[in-house]
Amino acid sequence: MKIEKVKKAIVPLSKRERKRYILFEILNAEVAEKDFYFGFWIDLLSFFGSKGLAEINPKVVLFKGNKAIVKCQRGKETELIAGTAFIEKIRNKKIIINPVLTSGTIKTLKEYAKIE
Amino acid sequence: MDIVYTQPLKELLQVSTYFKEQLVVLVANEKDEKVAKTNDLIPCYLITDATPEGEISKLQSKKKAVVGGSVKANELAVRIKAEYLLQPSNTKQFFDLGLAQKLSANNTTVVLMFEELLKANSFERHQIWKNYLEVVRYCKQKKVKFIVASGTKDPLLLRPPKSREALAVILGLPQEKAKEYLEEVVKEK
Repeated sequence: MKIEKVKKAIVPLSKRERKRYILFEILNAEVAEKDFYFGFWIDLLSFFGSKGLAEINPKVVLFKGNKAIVKCQRGKETELIAGTAFIEKIRNKKIIINPVLTSGTIKTLKEYAKIE
Repeated sequence: MDIVYTQPLKELLQVSTYFKEQLVVLVANEKDEKVAKTNDLIPCYLITDATPEGEISKLQSKKKAVVGGSVKANELAVRIKAEYLLQPSNTKQFFDLGLAQKLSANNTTVVLMFEELLKANSFERHQIWKNYLEVVRYCKQKKVKFIVASGTKDPLLLRPPKSREALAVILGLPQEKAKEYLEEVVKEK
């Protein structure tokens, strides 16, 4: 039997789910990129649970120096910002995650944070 | 310093290291009074349930923050018309509709402290969060102002205003109100 490859239908831009980008600043300690991904995920998961976190759908899009841009579902940005208040330590380093700016495009945040 | 912390003696002894301001200590009997005086609490004012209103009115010019939680401490906050009632994050805190009504009349701001929440495990967090929701429900019903803050003097535990505002919003306060209440506190400082 021959298996036919089925092309995945492309969802038009206008019908895709909207997203929001949030620029975060990591204060107090330097954290490696991988540690940040892990610490960020674990603390949010313990607070929101699997269902809640799936609804927020956060993704770390960019990490440079002490700044990170995180993507999430539109309308869930408040929850994401509130959740980051519970991230107290990453790799035993006490940190504060400061939400700087929320935007609909990544370009605005990059320009604001002067990230190339 | 015009901030006055008030606390029942037993609880105050447990958290005495936090306080460097003038203290008002709520004592239940003479024995407690002796303990308060011998301890290194620098209390400036000892009061009991029987203290007359005239004595308490001396505190009027000061800004008062009461560390609440227990029935007695909450009642004291109402009695002395405290500006802030600090609600610790644990499962034993007491709050009801009657108290919310009195706080609303006195224009007291309820401060939800969440530093214990950071250290708690998932189950404890669930219990604390449930309790928080109850406090917020009563506050909303009686239009009591409330903000979210940290309860310790560790600056690393104090979260940025945007995060605290977001926490108030996910607890059920409308965005505009959360922002307004937090800004009021910042202006006062």
